[in-house]
Amino acid sequence: MFVSGCASVLFLALAQPAPSALPKLQLDSFPPPTRAAIARPYALATAHPDDVNAVGALARALHAWEQWNAAHDTYVRAHALAPRSFEWVYLDGVVLQRLARQREAAASFEQAGRLRPDYLPARLKLADALLESGDLDASARLFEALAGEASATPAAEFGLGRIDAARGRHETAIDHFERAIALFPEFAAAHYAVAQSYRAVGRRADAQAAIARHQQYGARWPGVDDPVLTAVTALRDDGQARLQEGVRLAERGDTAGAIAAHEAALTIDPSIAQAHANLISLYAKQQNWDKAEEHYRAVVALGVNLADAHYDHGVMLGMQDKWPEAAEAYRQAIAVNPRHARAYNNLGQALERVQDVAGAADAYRHAVDNQPSFRVARFNLGRMLIARGNYAEAVRELETLTQPRDAETPRYLFALGTAYVHAGRREEGIKWATDAGALAREFGQYELAAAIDREIARLK
Amino acid sequence: MSAHVKNTHARLFFVSFVSFVSLVAAAQPGLRPRQIFIESAAATGLTFTHMNGATGKFYMPEIMGAGVALFDYDNDGDLDVFIIQGGPLEPAGARDSSAAPTSRLFRNDLTIDANGRRTMHFTDVTDRAHAGVRGYGMGVAVGDYDNDGYLDLFVTAFGSTTLLHNNRDGTFSDVTKEAGVGDTAWSTSAAFFDYDRDGYLDLFVAHYIDFTLAGNKQCADSAGSRDYCTPRAFRPVPDRLFHNDGRGHFVDVTEAAGILTAYGNGLGVAVGDYDGDGWLDVYVANDATPNQLWINQKNGTFADEGLLSGSAVSAAGNPEGSMGIASGDFDLDGDEDLFVTNIVGETSVLYVNDGHGAFEDARARVGLAAATAAFTGFGTDWIDYDNDGWPDLFVANGAVNIVETQRGQPRPYRMHDQLFRNLEGRRFEETSASAGPFFALREIGRGAAFGDIDNDGDVDIVVTNNGGPVRLLLNQGTAGNHWIGVRLEQEPANRFAIGARIGIERAGRPTLWRRVRTDGSYLSASDVRAHFGLGPSPSIDAIVVQWPDGRTERWTGVSADRFVTLRRGTGKP
Repeated sequence: MFVSGCASVLFLALAQPAPSALPKLQLDSFPPPTRAAIARPYALATAHPDDVNAVGALARALHAWEQWNAAHDTYVRAHALAPRSFEWVYLDGVVLQRLARQREAAASFEQAGRLRPDYLPARLKLADALLESGDLDASARLFEALAGEASATPAAEFGLGRIDAARGRHETAIDHFERAIALFPEFAAAHYAVAQSYRAVGRRADAQAAIARHQQYGARWPGVDDPVLTAVTALRDDGQARLQEGVRLAERGDTAGAIAAHEAALTIDPSIAQAHANLISLYAKQQNWDKAEEHYRAVVALGVNLADAHYDHGVMLGMQDKWPEAAEAYRQAIAVNPRHARAYNNLGQALERVQDVAGAADAYRHAVDNQPSFRVARFNLGRMLIARGNYAEAVRELETLTQPRDAETPRYLFALGTAYVHAGRREEGIKWATDAGALAREFGQYELAAAIDREIARLK
Repeated sequence: MSAHVKNTHARLFFVSFVSFVSLVAAAQPGLRPRQIFIESAAATGLTFTHMNGATGKFYMPEIMGAGVALFDYDNDGDLDVFIIQGGPLEPAGARDSSAAPTSRLFRNDLTIDANGRRTMHFTDVTDRAHAGVRGYGMGVAVGDYDNDGYLDLFVTAFGSTTLLHNNRDGTFSDVTKEAGVGDTAWSTSAAFFDYDRDGYLDLFVAHYIDFTLAGNKQCADSAGSRDYCTPRAFRPVPDRLFHNDGRGHFVDVTEAAGILTAYGNGLGVAVGDYDGDGWLDVYVANDATPNQLWINQKNGTFADEGLLSGSAVSAAGNPEGSMGIASGDFDLDGDEDLFVTNIVGETSVLYVNDGHGAFEDARARVGLAAATAAFTGFGTDWIDYDNDGWPDLFVANGAVNIVETQRGQPRPYRMHDQLFRNLEGRRFEETSASAGPFFALREIGRGAAFGDIDNDGDVDIVVTNNGGPVRLLLNQGTAGNHWIGVRLEQEPANRFAIGARIGIERAGRPTLWRRVRTDGSYLSASDVRAHFGLGPSPSIDAIVVQWPDGRTERWTGVSADRFVTLRRGTGKP
């Protein structure tokens, strides 16, 4: 019996892997805010390496501070100490996915799913990890089940589409992608994927249109609430995190919130030049010129991020109708970065305000030379060429703006029509103006459309 | 003792003896399996250390590294080495001063005795060759732009580009101004190729971002430590296409050719016929912005099909790091596929061509995703390192942001390079661990050039390291497989037939296709000769050449295990 007992103990010891060691961290290598955030949980975990709460707290801190490998090692230990806890194995899967170790991530999400079968983000992430590691059958089964859950449907349809596309079944892939897009029209990845399938079945025009929408929507993705992960990212409260929060708020149009976040970043770390630089334009939006100027001077004193600082300073001055000063600010931006296309464009606008048409045309020319895809700069150049009587050259520049057809295009087409008329090619000018009017109406630009109609009537 | 017992004892003794011998063999260095690659730079006199001019201000050029070219500058039949140098970034003017380091040209003094024993030595001939380019160099392109039978050099830079004309007497002349290819935007990879089939090599130059020292930005890594910015902190600069007018001069045709309609943060350039229509196209790897696939419209213009082709971004529609390019037919189906290196956490990508310019992101399917997840890759190419007939992969790795486990150490961007064996076009198996001690070395790998440096029938590699020494990897491991090296010659134009395709036809086996090229990889230029591994059988039914102008010729009766030069007009149409 003693032998059996020993054998049982031995068997159990062999079956349960020993918890992995805690990572050894070089705390001195971290900047002070990071060191402060990690040092305490590290000390506690080191002092109590078998305490799952201490180890888990360290793992979450490392995760929040994006020390991925160390976070993974620590989550593994936490999970070994508390194998029935969902949190550690799930978060380990998230970290593994971030490290692009998809098979291991899938294994973690599978375990997590057994512990909490109802946690939607874990199910979605498992399906994704299986797809990325090439296990299409298993991934498809999961996405099919998820397609019935409202908040997960767009991502699930997208996943099913990718699987069908990978198998060459592009017609059904298109169905899935189109359903995903119908539910979440800004789903950039779905627009890209459906473009590939459209191309594969010969629908090239549809593919090109889908590519255009993909480029329009950037990286937007249908999110699913993930409170377990959110609790980790909320741990991070340093200057950089506040700066990123400020940038996100600014993108959403919440200027006041963005300012507060940026100021909070600077309270934590006054040396974050980008925070100062962003606050120039944010305060300018509120017409708080003194604060904007204060942050401009702070960036200049730091000696970095100067091109954008001078540029934003120019914008601020322009908002106050201080055009000569704005022009000088843009010139300073250009001196720092001679290829700053936006600074050249805005310099052109400032020079127009002071009636320097030649200077404005030259500035717009530089903007276009440095960034040929800068449509509004080319439009401005075209206007200056018309103003200076260079109609043929204006036509050449403005003709490049006829595609794509977006909300800016009506005025570009109208300018092109104007250039043609001035160049003596009246019928072509009327044609482009008519096109401009129709497009303006499509985009709900009724005042512009009416102005164009009046001009066409006058010409006729 | 019975006979059975005696025999059993004998067998046991034999097994024990064999086990003992194996144990001893494993302990004896001389009895270990042969290394595939032996690092031999210092031993052969190829001594060079890159200077990145790191200032502590995290200027972007400091992290980029530089390239290397393998080319036969003196036409003596072996590959010489031209290595690009960086330099000081401060104070202003330092990189152009006479005290600043320059690029270096090393002549290969390879000798092969009557027994076939090779002795290789490199001699630094930079000064006598006038090949020392000053300034903050980045990359190099190789091509005979004036059709005099000698390969010339185009050097890109954070600063002014340089065109070095090979004078055919062991020296070079800077003809940048006369040739009209001076360019001060931050240039990276470049490629000579004849896009309009007029017999003169034109020039495509990739540009990176609008970074200036004065416009430097303060960026941090994920832990808040000061680190190099992502290129997204700056704006991309359009690439350039220069048309060779045949009189030693180039004309900037960028806008006329349509190249201004799309651009990103250009780092890698590869030329190939990606849509299979017989005309050369250009693939540009852009860092953190969508890649371009410039399809030749056959009328002097190009159209960007990157996004539509599936080769511009990941399968999820996200732009990736995209630094180095390996362009070639890895699955022996006759078209040109693309392997593009990305940054850590993205995985490098294999875009498999359907033969018509549509690509599948196959990284997970072929086993490359998991193997490259922990690495930031740069220089790369398809090389059949074991001559089994299947193109394998080498990747030079090195981080661009602080490696988590090296935090607090000097130069915390070090990674080891990787070697992958191609398993008959279906999957890749990493063989780094058995390829030699070099592959355990962690450095900051950047450029890589490929070619048979010792002319022994296998492909060798030169690797540059950012702020570190150059490495020469001599291939020792072809396991008795057969090979053939092909050099093309034609006159009067495009004398090295850059852009031609060579096919080795073998009965019952797929044709092996290679393009005559020097471009691809990262900032680097490789041997213009095409190398083919043939596997265990040396038989070659025929060699087919598709010349750059579209005409085809065929040679039979060519035997393996040597270099051959095929002159246009000596084969059968």
